[in-house]
Amino acid sequence: MYDIKALYEAESVQHAVQLLQEHPEAQILAGGSDVLVQVREGRRAGMELVSIYMLDELRGVSIDDDENIRIGSLTSFSHITNDPIIRKYINVLGEAVDMVGGPQIRAIGTIGGNTCNGVTSADSASTLMAWDAVMEVTGPEGVRYVPIKDWYIKAKVVDLKPAEIQTAILIPKESYDRCFGHYIKYSMRNALDIATTGCSVNVRLSEDKKTIERVRIGYGVAAPIPVRAKTAEEFLNGKKITEKNIRKFAETVLEDINPRDSWRAGKALRQHISVVMAERALRESIILAGGVVNG
Amino acid sequence: MINCTINGKKRSFDIDPTCRLREMLLMNGNFAVRDSDDAEGFCGSDTVLLDGTPVFSNLVLAGEVEGCEIRTPDSLGNSMNLTVIQQALVDAGVVQSAYNAPAAALIMTWLFENNPNPTREDVKDALSGIFIRDAGYEHYYLAAELIKEKLSGGEYKTEIAPEFRPELKAVGKVLPKIDAPQLVSGERAFVEDYVDEDTCYMVVLRSPYASAYVNKIDTSKAEALPGVVKIITAYNCPDVTYMSAGQGNPEPSPHDRRLLNKKVRHVGDRVAAVIAETLEEAIKARDLIEVEYEPLGAVFTVEEAMAEGAPLVHNGKVQYNAGAPDDLDEYNSKLSGDEREGKVVYQFPLHGDILHNVAAANHGFIGDVDKAFAEADAVVEATYQTSQIQHTPLETHICFSKLENGRLIIYASTQVPYHVRRIVSWVTGLSENKIHVIKTRVGGGYGSKQDILVEDLTAYATFATGRPVLYHNTREEEFIANSTRHPMRVHVKMGGKKDGSITGIYLKVDANTGPYGNHALTVPMNSCSKTLPLFKCDNMKYDLTIYYTNTPPAGAYQGYGTPKGTYGLMMAMCELAEKLGVDYKEMVLKNHVEEGYMLEILKGLGEGREGNVVPVGSCGLREAVEKGCEMIEWGKREESGDPDWKIGKGFAMIMQGSGLPGLDHANAITKLEMDGSIIVTSGAADIGTGLDTIIAKVTSDILCVPMDRITVISGDTDSGAFDTGSYASSGTFFSGNAAVVAATNLKEKILEEAAMQMVEDIEDLEILWPGEVRSAKTGKVLSYYEIIHTSTSGTGRGHLIAPGSFTTAGSSVPYGAHFAQVAVNIRTGEIKVQKFYAIQDAGTPINPEAALCQMYGASLKSIGHTLYEDMILDKDGNCVNANMTDYGVPMISEQPDDFKAVLIDVNDEHGPFGAKSISEIACNGAAPAIGNAIHDACGVWMRSWPMTPEKLLKELGRL
Repeated sequence: MYDIKALYEAESVQHAVQLLQEHPEAQILAGGSDVLVQVREGRRAGMELVSIYMLDELRGVSIDDDENIRIGSLTSFSHITNDPIIRKYINVLGEAVDMVGGPQIRAIGTIGGNTCNGVTSADSASTLMAWDAVMEVTGPEGVRYVPIKDWYIKAKVVDLKPAEIQTAILIPKESYDRCFGHYIKYSMRNALDIATTGCSVNVRLSEDKKTIERVRIGYGVAAPIPVRAKTAEEFLNGKKITEKNIRKFAETVLEDINPRDSWRAGKALRQHISVVMAERALRESIILAGGVVNG
Repeated sequence: MINCTINGKKRSFDIDPTCRLREMLLMNGNFAVRDSDDAEGFCGSDTVLLDGTPVFSNLVLAGEVEGCEIRTPDSLGNSMNLTVIQQALVDAGVVQSAYNAPAAALIMTWLFENNPNPTREDVKDALSGIFIRDAGYEHYYLAAELIKEKLSGGEYKTEIAPEFRPELKAVGKVLPKIDAPQLVSGERAFVEDYVDEDTCYMVVLRSPYASAYVNKIDTSKAEALPGVVKIITAYNCPDVTYMSAGQGNPEPSPHDRRLLNKKVRHVGDRVAAVIAETLEEAIKARDLIEVEYEPLGAVFTVEEAMAEGAPLVHNGKVQYNAGAPDDLDEYNSKLSGDEREGKVVYQFPLHGDILHNVAAANHGFIGDVDKAFAEADAVVEATYQTSQIQHTPLETHICFSKLENGRLIIYASTQVPYHVRRIVSWVTGLSENKIHVIKTRVGGGYGSKQDILVEDLTAYATFATGRPVLYHNTREEEFIANSTRHPMRVHVKMGGKKDGSITGIYLKVDANTGPYGNHALTVPMNSCSKTLPLFKCDNMKYDLTIYYTNTPPAGAYQGYGTPKGTYGLMMAMCELAEKLGVDYKEMVLKNHVEEGYMLEILKGLGEGREGNVVPVGSCGLREAVEKGCEMIEWGKREESGDPDWKIGKGFAMIMQGSGLPGLDHANAITKLEMDGSIIVTSGAADIGTGLDTIIAKVTSDILCVPMDRITVISGDTDSGAFDTGSYASSGTFFSGNAAVVAATNLKEKILEEAAMQMVEDIEDLEILWPGEVRSAKTGKVLSYYEIIHTSTSGTGRGHLIAPGSFTTAGSSVPYGAHFAQVAVNIRTGEIKVQKFYAIQDAGTPINPEAALCQMYGASLKSIGHTLYEDMILDKDGNCVNANMTDYGVPMISEQPDDFKAVLIDVNDEHGPFGAKSISEIACNGAAPAIGNAIHDACGVWMRSWPMTPEKLLKELGRL
């Protein structure tokens, strides 16, 4: 038996909010692949949990009236990977969550859980960062929207106020339209391993495919929370696709990231890899977008 | 109430919704849903289908399956009626220790139900969440092909494995492992399946310090808790000094452990054992025990251990049971002798010096290495460091014991039932007839279950309380409180001539045995004794020193020291070849031993005594090297097409032994049953490798009885006859040979009996398939049934029973060569093993498909040791990655795309039907093969494990 003080089963989003109000200490339980492991390790032992796992209304991917891609927070990794909308507009997200590894985890791990745990190594985090996702949060006051840049507050802490739950992740049309991206997970092993560093890049090219109209690059494990390398982005935006610019872009990421030493890898390795990944992910993104390096 | 459907039947459970789904399934009797990782969500042993999708049942709450449909592995076929998929897994040979084989069968079933024609990628994806340590994954791909063939055409078309010895019916043939149906279908098999309902649970309070005196233990609050049966500490248990190694008695390991400690020597060392009615109560009580520790200085590496003035891991008195030095009293006067230290008892001298943290040492040489180096055209010298590695069996260590009619009954997952019995006898003071050890099926051993790590305390707990007691290690305890591969510092100096001949080899090994000396001498010894005899070289010298430290303990691990010596020697040889300007392959061919070469070096390499100098026997080494070079296209440079990815090739010669001649001993008793079928009772300990099947096969071919009329009962100390156990690659060779002797003796008895019944001369009789005796003279035939029926009638001469005992001075050495092609990314440091070829001479492979799987499994495991696995300790000696996700074992995604295992056909004069050992040797080649390939790819020598991208980039000067 898990060391759980009480488990409350939510029957609707409103009910979940109500349960969280009634039990202010309670944590939200989605698929369980993360929270239950933490309970086992003792980090969340003895907690009250509000399970939202039965809320099918929070599952699925759609395009809403404003042409946002809307991903219900309980949508599983395997669902995202195989979803036609994701495949068409933001394939890189499906590839990223597929790297979590193992059909058992992909079936129960949810995109909401992956972003609400506030973990910098989460496989979806750098891609959602790089695609300017917006978190839809529902609480006692109703619904509010949090841009992902404001979502992560510090390691393992996100902008969820008391009794709020994340109900969807939105990718605005402006964010995905004509964008092509690539994610690289750098880890020691391929499946069921934690990223040493994760890097997600996407580009929108000019009509003639010779200029980078917009580039965005997000990192996991390059700082305590997922980050963007804004200086590098600003450098490359509007620039021609050239070898020199690609390399300069990659080197510039070091101005924005701040990886640390850990037993998994040293800071020097993470910095080195971040530069290499930036370059590789950018090249892949350019190819996917139909661009070519000229000069 | 929770209502759901389990395997098609509606079920309701009155259960706390915070229970794990797995717990609910266990209540329902679905015990084949196993737990390998304490609900970490890694190993996949707990996989079930929830509404048609695989999930880890430990990561699903019971409260969340209301209205769901659940399918468990035992919903597939039973052992008498396997499904096509289960049968294919059995036939492919992957059902070995098989702790999560039922889960794998369920996943494969799910795969085929959703996709009748899966590609290799589909199989890989489906199995990406299940950890297989024993057989690797290659034959799961084969099984998938077999399933497709069976489902479409009805018959297998793909060859499962090559067959050997056409004149025999069972030996060398692809036949199902006899315990595989039971294992794949998830029937009762493991210790946890034999636990009585009224069992108590035991948990152990473990030290938070790497070194400390335990000055006071207050158990009063804990004992006041309801449900607590007893708390055992060093202050209320017998003060017996022993050790955990399951080795021949007297052991070449110092006796330096006690049941519970007054001095703890590593984080995780035993402080107290709590026995309570429930696991929850035991844990609660453990947390209430108050301990007063007096922290002491600690050492974690051999460098720290050997430093002047280093804290002493053992500072009690030294005793010798034989061969004490004359100055022992003077020596002891320099040690503190504090009562809390206990003592260190050597059964005979191992050249230990605990005043300098030396547990054991050994030195030896032939010829003159200094002269050899002086005469060499080039000399290389380098140090290779290996890491601390855990076995990670899927079944963590477990023991259940109970009292029955004044006897201790012990259900053990062990490689050494008889050594368990002896050590439990020492600890409890009971004579061995009062102890019954039942080895169940074993969910992965790899050497870790050659140590008696849990049986001593569990059995003692039953002895002290009279209650049935279950103890089961957590996964964290597997890392910190079990045994591990000894970290070793291997210093190699090697000299050679321009013609490629090696003039001299010097090996200096400093090994870290951790806080206790189980296997202290013999594991490091193998880094010399199973490597130096590969070389035809007249000048060789070795110095071995084994240090005590305060790391988690080390012990036996498949390969037993050999992988470390092989790593240093074969990489040094590759470097020397380069320095001399000679092709490495040519140098290998010039220097390896061949049949008849007298191995003088072995004289000093006995297990703590003088070794046997013997000539090289059957040897497929040259063929293995040449075959592998041909397969990998040695000498041909490969290009990746991407300037960042460099490709290189490497290989290493390997050898092992087949048991310990002069030390190991095996027995079997073979009986002709009342209908002419056969029961063999063997002392052997089959740990999933197919040893029982080997015993059945040799019996079948000797007695001309079909396999399905032979049953093997093994690993049971009451019914069997003494066997030293499954270690040192002894199973096939010793236990197999004992079965050969017993069957041959029974054959004699059958013929004698038949001669009397037929009134004929024994010389005229022969035995024939399927179990009858025929007279060549008269043509008369008596079936085994008729013979035994008459002999056990009221006037007969009795049951036909034959014992067989096997000991030998003969040595059967398996040889081989492992080849790797790696791609190295010089910008990211990534290392991919693209090709791995394991070419081995196993004599006659008795179970060829199982042999191949063991070669795959051991190769993949050692690829893991080379590239990923490493127990990392912080400055206080805490292991920071004592869990499966962080530790880093290789899984299906890490398996080389091109992975081949090839058996070289060699017949051995000593082995049963010419067989030699197969599995352990396959751990020896990966590190040097990969290391040499990395050098070939990008020019750097990777001189420590694991060979990580970070280290590689540093070597390349990019970090």
